[in-house]
Amino acid sequence: MIYFDNVSKVYSPTSIALEDVSFSIAPKEFVSIVGRSGAGKSTLLKLLLAEESPSSGSVFFESHNIHKLSRKELPFLRRKMGVVFQDYRLLPHRTAYENVAFALEAAGKSEDDIAHDVQQVLELVGLMDKAWHFPHELSGGEKQRAAIARALVVAPEVVIADEPTGNLDPMNTWEIVRLLEKINDLGTTVILATHDKEIINYLKRRVLTIEKGKLVRDEAEGRYVL
Amino acid sequence: MDRVTFGRIIKGGFVNFFRNGVVSLATVLVISLTMFMLGSVLVGGIFLNGVISNLEEKVDITAYFKLDTDERDILEVKSNLEKLPDVKGVVFVSRDEALNKFLERHKGDELYMKTIEIVGDNPFPASLEIQAVDPSRFEAISVFLESGRFQNLIDEKSPGIKNISYRLNQSVIDRLSVILRTIKLVGFGISLILALIALMVAYNTVRLAIYSSKDEISVMQLVGASRSFIRGPFLVEGVIHGVISALFTIVAFYPLLLWAGKRTAGIFGGIDIYGYYVSYIWQISFILLLVGIAIGVLSSALAMRRYLKV
Ligand SMILES: Nc1ncnc2c1ncn2[C@@H]1O[C@H](COP(=O)(O)OP(=O)(O)OP(=O)(O)O)[C@@H](O)[C@H]1O
Ligand SMILES: [Mg+2]
Repeated sequence: MIYFDNVSKVYSPTSIALEDVSFSIAPKEFVSIVGRSGAGKSTLLKLLLAEESPSSGSVFFESHNIHKLSRKELPFLRRKMGVVFQDYRLLPHRTAYENVAFALEAAGKSEDDIAHDVQQVLELVGLMDKAWHFPHELSGGEKQRAAIARALVVAPEVVIADEPTGNLDPMNTWEIVRLLEKINDLGTTVILATHDKEIINYLKRRVLTIEKGKLVRDEAEGRYVL
Repeated sequence: MDRVTFGRIIKGGFVNFFRNGVVSLATVLVISLTMFMLGSVLVGGIFLNGVISNLEEKVDITAYFKLDTDERDILEVKSNLEKLPDVKGVVFVSRDEALNKFLERHKGDELYMKTIEIVGDNPFPASLEIQAVDPSRFEAISVFLESGRFQNLIDEKSPGIKNISYRLNQSVIDRLSVILRTIKLVGFGISLILALIALMVAYNTVRLAIYSSKDEISVMQLVGASRSFIRGPFLVEGVIHGVISALFTIVAFYPLLLWAGKRTAGIFGGIDIYGYYVSYIWQISFILLLVGIAIGVLSSALAMRRYLKV
């Protein structure tokens, strides 16, 4: 489903974010990406989303070379992915509700569907009471949950989550992790970048370990080792 | 694009406009200023055109004929004059008409009436009032009158000097008309430069507003919005800016031109700028509206381009 073929990303000579990374992810897999800060986790996810282009190598999603897609095709690819950004990236002039609704509006869904789906995911992440707050009126954890809701609402084929629990208390963290597990059980591929040792050890799923831009381990039932 | 999406884009534009409050207001003000410059060029141009053509209409030559000239001869001169390319129009004023005009003008003035009575006969010659196409063509017309085969019909003020009068002195008219054209050209040039500067400021204001949304624009793209879906609301916002600015400008011109009209009314033979504005209001509004929308939309479109690249 997803295939990284000898991908390197060099931002500048002093920051080589990824070097010759190759791996593939099958549908319905739950893959964690671990590595120290600055190892290149976010870069890897950005390449998958075509936010950045690789310096060399190619990235495939369902046999499409992502970086060869036209500007017209790209949005359709992105609608198959639900992304939780490390820094949330909510639209500041829109309420939590509108942020979650945006992706559906962009995809041309009807108002009724949108009202129904948005309500459902907001309840799922426990943000219904703050639905009409703007991002600056939300706490870090609430923003993170709004970002998760936005990623889930499009019913994506793959959920890409970059440290989705970074700002959550233990209770909320486990709720999110269980949510991701549940989504995965229902057939959605999940890619999770995280520092959190406990989560990795709890999940007992496939782990890709990145060190200084290189893929150093790829274990089917990995533990957090650094 | 389906109706739902189109509706969302329109709504998005309005929502952006209102949520961006202060920035929207600043943008509208700057675009209004630009339009004001452009509007001034427009109104000024129309006004000066009016002044010039008004002045040129006043440029006419009157040739007086000897009292005993046969009317048929005069009419022949008239039809010959009308064939000249330099002549715009010829009006025949018969002796009776000339007398009537005089009596009309001095109605109730004892002295004049008595004089006419004493003279007994109608002392006024018949005349042709000739309008030139252009003040610079005066010479050709008077040469035609003074040296052609009609020269003997024309009255002489004193021996050798034909009684041909120019209502305004030709050289004065010439000079005035040159000055006015120069004013028009220079004024137009300066206003155009100022308008261009204002245009750049307007574009940069819009660009700054969009620059502050650049992160938003990239997020929208990353969650799967197409370029047109993102661009749409910004263009709608541009239209809103343009329309409001145009309305602003149209209204602001009223008091300004009323004032300017009063101040300049005496100068150019009573041509009233305000009157011009009011009588051309639909054309001007239409142009300002088009220009406003063009500025708003083009600025947005141009500024958007660089942020739609993720
Ligand atoms: N836009 C950029 N320009 C230049 N260098 C960059 C850019 N983005 C990331 N880098 C560099 O690339 C390397 C990898 O960054 P990346 O964000 O992928 O790390 P990460 O594994 O996500 O770290 P963290 O766990 O702290 O989020 C870092 O050394 C970083 O300095
Ligand atoms: Mg990161």
